[in-house]
This record gives sequence, structure tokens and C-alpha cells, in this order.
Amino acid sequence: MLEAIEGSQAIARAVAMCRPDVVAAYPITPQTHIVEALSRLVAEGEMHTEFVSVESEFSAASVVLGAAATGARAYTATASQGVLLMAEVLFNISGMRVPLVMTVANRAVSAPLSIWNDHSDSMAVRDCGWIQLHCADNQEAVDTTIQAFRISQETELPVMVCMDGFVLTHTLEPIEMPDQTDIDGWLPPLEFDRRLDPSDPKSLGTLVSPDFFAEVRHSHHAAMIRALDVIETVDDDWHAMTGRRGGGLVEVAGDPEAKIGILAMGSTFGTLETGMEHAGAQAGRARLIKLRAFRPFPAAALRAACAGLEHLIVIDRAISPGLGGVVGTEVAAVLAGAPDAPRIHNHALGLGGRDIPETIYADLMTAVADPDGPAFSVFDADLTKLDPEDR
Amino acid sequence: MVILTRGAYARPGTSLDFKTGNWRSGEAPVHVHATAPCAASCPAGEDQQAWFARLQEGDAEGAWREVVRANPLPAVTGRVCPHPCETACNRAALDAPLAIHNVERWLGDEAIRQGWTYPVSAPAADAPEVAIVGAGPAGLSAAYHCVRQGLRAAIYEAAPEAGGLLRAAIPQTRLPRDVLDAEIARLLDLPGITLNLRARLGRDVTLDELERDHAAVLLAPGCQANKAWSIDGAVPVDLHEGLNLLKEFVDHGQLPEARRVIVHGGGNTAMDLCRAMKRAGAEQVTLVSASGLPGPETDPSDVINVVPRELEEALEEGIEILDHTTINRLILRGSRVTGVEVMSLRKLRGEDGRAHRVGFEGTERVLPVDMVIPCIGEEVAPEGLGALIDHGYLRPRDPAGRLTQERVFALGDARGDHGTVAAAIGDGLRAVRALVAELEGAPASPDGDRVGIAPDQLNLSYYDHSARVAAPKLRVEARTFETEIEGDIGRAAAMAEAQRCLSCGNCLACDNCWTFCPDNAVIKTVELARDGSHYLFDLDYCKGCGLCAQECPTGYIRMQS
Amino acid sequence: MAEHDPRGERLDELRRKFGREPLPPGADQKELTPREAQPRFRGLESGHRACQGCGEALAARLVTECAGPDVMIANATGCLEVFTTAWPQSSWRVPWMHSLFENAGAIASGMEAAMKAKGKNTKVLAFGGDGGTYDIGFQALSGMLERYHNVLYVCYDNEAYMNTGIQRSSSTPHAATTTTSPAGKERMGKRHLKKDLLAIVAAHHIPYAAAASVAYPADLQRKVRYAMGIEGPTFLVIHSPCPLGWRHDSALTIEVARRGVECGLFPLVEIERGAVTNVMPIRKVRPVTDYLELQGRFSHLMTPDDARAEEERAHLQALADHNIQTFGLRGDTPDAGDTQASSSVGRGGHPAGRV
Repeated sequence: MLEAIEGSQAIARAVAMCRPDVVAAYPITPQTHIVEALSRLVAEGEMHTEFVSVESEFSAASVVLGAAATGARAYTATASQGVLLMAEVLFNISGMRVPLVMTVANRAVSAPLSIWNDHSDSMAVRDCGWIQLHCADNQEAVDTTIQAFRISQETELPVMVCMDGFVLTHTLEPIEMPDQTDIDGWLPPLEFDRRLDPSDPKSLGTLVSPDFFAEVRHSHHAAMIRALDVIETVDDDWHAMTGRRGGGLVEVAGDPEAKIGILAMGSTFGTLETGMEHAGAQAGRARLIKLRAFRPFPAAALRAACAGLEHLIVIDRAISPGLGGVVGTEVAAVLAGAPDAPRIHNHALGLGGRDIPETIYADLMTAVADPDGPAFSVFDADLTKLDPEDR
Repeated sequence: MVILTRGAYARPGTSLDFKTGNWRSGEAPVHVHATAPCAASCPAGEDQQAWFARLQEGDAEGAWREVVRANPLPAVTGRVCPHPCETACNRAALDAPLAIHNVERWLGDEAIRQGWTYPVSAPAADAPEVAIVGAGPAGLSAAYHCVRQGLRAAIYEAAPEAGGLLRAAIPQTRLPRDVLDAEIARLLDLPGITLNLRARLGRDVTLDELERDHAAVLLAPGCQANKAWSIDGAVPVDLHEGLNLLKEFVDHGQLPEARRVIVHGGGNTAMDLCRAMKRAGAEQVTLVSASGLPGPETDPSDVINVVPRELEEALEEGIEILDHTTINRLILRGSRVTGVEVMSLRKLRGEDGRAHRVGFEGTERVLPVDMVIPCIGEEVAPEGLGALIDHGYLRPRDPAGRLTQERVFALGDARGDHGTVAAAIGDGLRAVRALVAELEGAPASPDGDRVGIAPDQLNLSYYDHSARVAAPKLRVEARTFETEIEGDIGRAAAMAEAQRCLSCGNCLACDNCWTFCPDNAVIKTVELARDGSHYLFDLDYCKGCGLCAQECPTGYIRMQS
Repeated sequence: MAEHDPRGERLDELRRKFGREPLPPGADQKELTPREAQPRFRGLESGHRACQGCGEALAARLVTECAGPDVMIANATGCLEVFTTAWPQSSWRVPWMHSLFENAGAIASGMEAAMKAKGKNTKVLAFGGDGGTYDIGFQALSGMLERYHNVLYVCYDNEAYMNTGIQRSSSTPHAATTTTSPAGKERMGKRHLKKDLLAIVAAHHIPYAAAASVAYPADLQRKVRYAMGIEGPTFLVIHSPCPLGWRHDSALTIEVARRGVECGLFPLVEIERGAVTNVMPIRKVRPVTDYLELQGRFSHLMTPDDARAEEERAHLQALADHNIQTFGLRGDTPDAGDTQASSSVGRGGHPAGRV
């Protein structure tokens, strides 16, 4: 049954359905509504979990790590500065191969201070060893959140579910909320064999010498690569139960025969879809590629999705100053060497909450036609606002 | 091949695979059973620390059995010994030495009350028999140790009763007869001992006969002859010699009458006599002694040779003591003494490097007296011993007491090198031990380390302050010729006093090493470890930090390469 | 000290509680080695890589052996973590996790929340050094205390960052030298005071916060047992000399710690709900120089005829006197809990340890 529900409330209810033992979080815009909603569910007795209101994101991540290490199902959520404050713990969690789920309500990173949406936060921790899934809309966010618990359990890797701050978290959309009994059947109890347990007392978080460190990192990488299959299988399984897909690794929409493709992560994908519908024939139809799994990076699926393209516009919602777009660079790397690799047009846009209008579609399609167009630009930057020296 | 665990977790306790003992560059801890100073200084050869350990465990009979390994007469020594053990006791560095003497006495009395018997079995009927001359403390001890060692003993005693000096010359106020009788009877009841009374050497039996008929001869005749005493050749006509006087008093309770008495000497006989004379009615009794009273003024080697407790009691009773003083001249009216001239003197090191007593001109003074009693010591009565006597004594050529003749030993006061009951008892032990080794053709077992562990080798932080027990004592007015002056401390006080023992040099099983080892390299054992402790050092993990040795209260652990 | 029963009913009970099968009969028939037969729980096993005479290793062993085995530990980064768990080996026989330097309080909070969620009463311990507690982990500790997690936090205080090579922390005492507070022409070691962490912790109004010393193991273990019995946050700071960092002989770890208490610089106090409820009286107060003279980190204070050294010594003496006065540490009459009675031993053990 469809309900009109705010993204944050929907996430909170999805998390509750997964019956986590421990939730720890620290408020930060635009994640706040999720934490508040969870607190309310606990307060009303609708959710039986140890809700730990910590004194920082650093502790939020630490608390869920401590809890998960004992074999408890644990969850946290944050955004922006919170992600960065957690950074040290994020590496720690994945390095110990502890299953855990976290929602990131994507937001820009200060300075200058901005409370609005872009992907600077999750990009900043792209190498922290977590699975990172980006959701295009709130239905996908709900489905992905639930799937994330299962992916995490099966892979013994932590999963970061990214959803755009405000754009999704604070937006009312009609959502099909799953049934609790379905979830109870679909999501098996967490069996973490390496859990802290007085009857079989293991030591976690040891010091590893150079003789074994490379092997630790290799095995982590190998686990991430194997997780590609798990993400797809779990999505298939979800589809079998709900009839919906969470988005797999990569999803393709628009014109499959188009020679121009546009790749995006998160809610921008929806804007592009609508923009294409509304732009009319003059702008032309593109192949729209939605990258859901940013980590592990689905190289093969991307190559397949991009087959036959001459131009690929890659949209980044963050910037790596001095390089350009991270997604653009990575996609280019994956496609490089293929005989028919498309030309990559990498644009950062919508930084720090800059509105991404539907018309962006037509503008991108126009720009791609320019043979002298830059390999990378901050597409929606108005340089006239800058002192000439700073342009 | 080590296989990486997921997330690099480790299994419990696996660090045991890592032998940190390899880090130990220098020293490792070892258990060293050092001699406690009490034991090191005990002339009787007791290990007080060992029997205090039994008492600390609440086992009084076990403690007594430890005592009688060396000393068969603890109720006696617990009364008459000058207890060098207490002087040596390391507890003095903390508060006050243990009242070892009083606890020993309680143990001895308790054994009599409870009828405890020596843990000794009868020697074989054909076991070698040893002849023992004298049934004083040395002879009795020798007989006892013979039996302990599986030998038989035949004692030849000139007097009609066994006991020697204990019976003849120690007043009842210090050693009640029932106590003495009980301990001697228990000893003489041992199988394998025959006692021949009224058997005087040289009259009833000869040394040659004894040598011929026995596996060995142990001579413990004591010192029965007074040393000749005169002042520049003057001897009062009514001279009473100290030991004889005391023996008469002890035997018949009679003392000559006198108003002002001077006793000349510095030993326990002199002191006993002073007190007896005072109690018998003398107005003024003065001890004139060349040695000094204990104190900072007196060199420890020149202290008056009296049990400290006896000295204290004598002063309580009004005995005057002129220390560092000698008699210069007797003032006689006719042949009766009316006064003495005394003079101060000191023991000083002369040009030859040896100590000499030097009198100081100008310190002479005259004391009016009507009796002078010399108590300057005794020597061996020569009867039957003839050529063995060397300058008054049977001077042995080794600590076991061997004389120049084969298998003839000298014990006790007759040796001339020491003069206490405890030493006499110890002589019995040492002589028999040496004799047995000789009979078995084994090398003489070396005498143990006679140097006691010093207080700076202990860790005194671990001992709480605890007051020394005070023995009850008769008030001066209540003291008589018959009643023992010092009383019994009782079981509770004895047990409490035992808890004060520091256990110097021996494991207390206090767990400090086990508790403080940062490396778990000290293993506690349920049964006693081979070295008598309760702990093992696991050198696989000992890094040699030395904490256990540093924090061992008793100095039982040492770091050694 | 509870008798450890390595293969008995307690283990079966624990295994059942954590969803594991009890060991099959016969699995407990093997002959125990003397090490296995120790009459105490070996929570921190031999083979760890601590330096000779390490006070922290000793303190952690004392805590673990009387807290275990039904515990789990969150351990901050530091010497203790490094020397106990060099993969593939671990010295621990209790579930143990090291995450980061500054989050032991939060990791422990999470463990405790999980135990609560699962209805288990396994006690959670958090271990940290002074760096991980007084400094970088201070916030996580405060959060843990404020949220009233049922955790015993133990700070092994060796008064500097020893793991990184002896740098000053906020716990380093005034005038002590470290590699970042060296003594020189212009400076006499650390310029600032040792942080009064116990007071700050106690200000959280928690049920129990106490100071202990490795020199008084029976007192230390009594405090651990007391804290273990409390449902709620408890805190124990343990003075743990570091022979390497304090520059004293490895055999003197206990002696140094003892003098630290006896001079008044490290008062052993117990605070319940913000109120001082017990102190260890000092039977015989020693001058601080007795404490300083054993340690190289204070050697610059012992230079004769140096006015600056004299002033710093006087300063430290004044700090000790201040502690003695503030907490009434002078024990004029013998007391069963004073410095002397707390360390006295008898045949068969420590009288206080057998209470």
C-alpha cells in the first residue's frame, strides 16, 4: 500500500523493521529527522532497541562498532561533518570486517558552511572500505536500507546507504512500505561468528605486522569485489518478494540506442529522467545510467551499460580540487582501453545545495555537442560572480 | 603456515607461544633459603624461624617437634637462655624483637602439660653405645641426639641426680624443679639410654675403660673447680667461693649472714648470688664487674655476660652494680675483710693490637664490706682427665668438640669456649652429628650458613607494626626463694607473638611474587615445590625484571645470573 | 579471589548463555599443567610484550583476574593494546577489542548497549592509558559516564604517552621531564599540573570513582570487585609506574608506586556520587623527595645547590601536602585500611586479600 511519507520517516521505519539491537546517532542536519523518528519509535514502544544518544558522531560510530562486535545488529546515521568526524572509525569498522549499516544524508562539507546537499561527505570516505550504495529516490532508499542489513551480514562488510540530504530526506513521496512479517522472514538473524563472547574469547583489533598487512588489505578488496554479486543477488531476492528492485549495481533508463549517455548517482538521476521527458525532441534522447553501487565499483556492469556510447556525460556531486570529478575519473578509468570507449564529459553540479533544475538535461545535451568543451567543469558555476583573479 | 584470520582476530592466550623469557639478559630469580638470624645465632642449633612457621599455622605440637630436632629441653632453655636469637632478631629494625624466649618456654611447658613425646624410635639392641660423662645439659643433649641418630648412650654422672648445673646452681626462681624434672625424665625415659649415677670419672670408672667399651666417649663433666682467687695474695679467712655458695643455697637453702656484700664477677652465677644474698637479708649487695652494663658507653664485646632480663630484675631488686670496676686491694682486720679498694678500668686496645684492661690511677675508693664473694669462673676438675686438660679446660680442636684422642669429644662448659646451657645442648647435637658421620665413614656435613640474613635484605614494607608480648613478672615485694619470678605468657599470646615472625630468608607463602609478577611467570603450586616454597618460576616467560625479589618480604628470592 | 574453574560448570553456563553447546563430557578430563591449575583466573596470559617490570601489565592482570571471566573489554590504543595483541597472538582470555585511541568509552558503551539489548549481564570493561583517558578519549569517557552505561572504565595511569616514546600528557605531573617537556636552561620539565581527572569523573555523579595503585594489589582488587558489583558507570584510575618512561630500575616498580602514595602525590580515594567516602590513610607520610629520588624523570630536581630545583621540589611537596590536607590522608593511628595494613602480609597470603 502506498503511503505519502517523508523520506526520513520512511528510513526510520525501514530500520525499525530490521529490528536492530543497538542504534546510536548524533544529530546533524539533514540527518536529524531520521534520528528523531527513530527516537520516537523507541519512545512509543514501537521499536525495541537500545537507542544510544551519543555525544558525537565519533562516538556514534564507535558505539555501533562496539555493539556489532558482540554480534548485535547495529545502525547509525549521519551526514557531512559527521561523516568526517567518523572517518577514523569507519576505516576501523571495515578493517575488522564487522557488519553494520549506516545512512548518510549527503551534505556538503564545510568550509564555507553549507547545510545543503552534495556528495562531498561520502566521497571523502570513498576509500574507507565500506560498501557505498546511492539511492535515487525514497522508495529506493527504503528498499536499499533493508537490503543493506542483509548485504552486510552476508559479506561481513559495513554498508553505507547514501541519500541526498533534504532532496530525499525531507521530501514527502508516496512509498510502498514493506510488511514487517515479510521482512522478518526475509532478513535472517545476524550470526556473527567472530563476535566477542566470554565462552570463546577472541581478541579483535590486533596489531598486524608488515608480514600480513598486505594480505589483510587484499582480502578486504577481494571481499568487496565478491560483494558485487551479493548486492545483485540480494536485490533479485528483494525483487522476488516485493516486485521492486533497489537498483542493483547499475541501472539504465532512457534510450538504449542513444549515442549519448548521462551517468549520475542519487536523486540527480530522477531530475534527469524528468528533464528528458520534458525537454522534448529538440534536446534528443540520451541513455541514462544510474550508478547505485559506488563501492564496490561495478566495472563490468558499467562497461556493459556504456556499450555503444560515443559520449558519456558523468555528473559528480562533489569535486576533488585539482583533479575534477571523482566519479568521472573512475568511470573514465574503467572504460579506458575499450576500442569503442565513449568520450567522457565530466561535470560537477549541484554543489552545496545549488538547485538542479530539470532544464539541466537540455543544457548538458547542448554542452556535449561542443567539440571544444572542457573535459571537466563545475557546470552550473557562474564565473561572473567571481573576481577575475579567482575565476 | 599461519593463515590470516578474517579481520585479524586472535585466539585467547595464544601469546604463550611467544617465550618472553628470551628477553632476559642478565639475572633470573631463584629461591635462596637463607639462615634466619635467630637460627644463625642459636648456640643450641635451633631453627626458630622454622618452628615459628608451624606456630603461625596453628600447629603447636609441630612447632615443638621442630624445636626438639635440636634442643630436647626447651622448657629449660626457655627460662635460662640469654637468648642471643632475640638480640639478632631482624624484627628489631621494625619495632621490637620477637619474644622468642617466652614462646619457647610456653612450648616447652605445653609439651609437659600435653605429654608430647619426642619423635624418636628406639635404637637397635646392637647399635653402638656411646659413653657420656656428665648428665648436665651437654651430656643429656648428647644422649638424646645419640638416640635420635640410632645410637645407644650410657651416661656416667658423679652426682646422685641428673641435671648438672641446671639442678645444682640455678635457683628455683629462674628454673622451677618440677619443670626441670619433667624435661629430664622425659629425656631419660627414651629407649637406649642408661644412666649410671654416682659414677665419678677417675674414681668409679676410668677414661680408658670407657674408650675400650664404647664406640666413642663424650666428655661433658662441666666445670666443678673454682678458679683460684686472691688479691695480691690476700685471701680472707671466711672466703666463700661463688659457685659453691650458690650450690649450697640451691641444695640446702642456706646462705651465710652478711650486711654488706660485694660479689666480684660478671656472669649469671654472680648475678644469681647477688639476688639470693639480697633476698636472704643483706642490706647492701654490690656487684663489681670489669665488664660494662649494656648501653652506648660499652663496646658490645665488653658487656656483662648476664641474661638481660636477669639484670633488669636484679636492678629492680636493689642490687648495685659497679661496672668497669675491679677490686684493687682487700682491707683486712686480722684475716677478716672490712673493706675493699676498687678502681675504675676499661678494656682498651694496646700497642700489640689486643684488648687489655687498663686501670685508671686516681679512681681508687674504699667500700666498707663484711663479705667478698668471688665469682670469677670455674674450670674443669682434673680428676680422671689428667693430660686432657689444657690450661683448665678440655680445649677441643674442632667445633664438633674432638679432642686429640680418637672418638673422644669435649662438650659443654668443660670446653672453656662458651658457657651457656644452650651452647651445651648444641654441643651435644654437633658432637653426635660429627660422630655419626665418622662412624658411617661419611664426610662431616658442613655446618650450615651461620650468617643470618640482614634486615636490609628483607622488604620491611610488608610487616605491620605489632607490639611485643610482655611476660608477667612477680612484683619485687612478692619475690621469694621458691617462686618463679617470670610467668607464662599463655597460648593466645604465644600464638600472637608467632605471627610477628618475619620468616627471614624463608618462604612465607605470602603470594607477593605471584601477585606482583607482571608476566605471570610465577606459578603457584598446590603442593610444596621441591625447594620448599609454594611457587615455581616459569623462566619461559620471566623477563628478569626483579620485582619478585625486590618485593619478597623475607629475602627468599634473589636475582642470579 | 574466586576459584577459577577453567573447564567446569561455569564455562558450560557461559557457553549456553552465548548460544554455544556445552563441552562434551570427557573434554575436561585432561591433566592440567601447573599453569592451567593456577587458583586464579588468568585473564591476561604470559607471553605479552610489555617491558620488564611494567606497572601497566601488572595492573591490567590484577584487574582482569578478579573481574573475569564473564566480561568483555574495550581497550584504547596504547602500550597495553600493543603488547598484548600482536597478531596472531593474544594474551587475553576474555573477549577483547581494540578499536582506536580515543573511543574506548564509546566502544564500551556500544558493547554494553548490546548486552542490554540481548538481556545478558556480561560486564563490560573499558581500558585506557592516561593519554586515552585524560586527553584524547576524554569526551568519549564523559559521554559514557553521562549516559550511565554499566561499564567499569579502568585508566592505567603511567603519566605520559609511553607507547609513542614518553611524551607529556595532561596526567604528567608538574616538573616531570618527558620528550616533549624536557628540562633545560629555561624549563624545569612540565610546566602544568596533573589534571585532576578523578574529580572531573566524579562530577558526573556516578556511583563510584576511585584511585588505586599497583603497590596495593589487595586494595586495588577490592575496588575492582566493588565496582563490578555496581550496576552503572564506575571508574578506576590505577597508578602504574613505567620503568622506561619514569626512568627507574625495573625491580622498583612497586617501591616507586608505594612511595607515590606514601608521600601524598597519588592519593588513594574513593568517591561515590561525588562524595569522598573512603581514603587510604598514610601511616607514615614520607617526603616527596623519597618518591622523586628513585626516578630519572625528576633527576633535574635533585641537583644540589640549584635554586630552581629547590623551588620545584618545594612545589611538589606543597602539592602533596595539599592532597594530604584535602583528603585527610594523615593516618595518625593505625587503621585496617591504611598504607601499612593494606600491604602487610602473613603466612599464606595477604590478610586483606582474604577478606
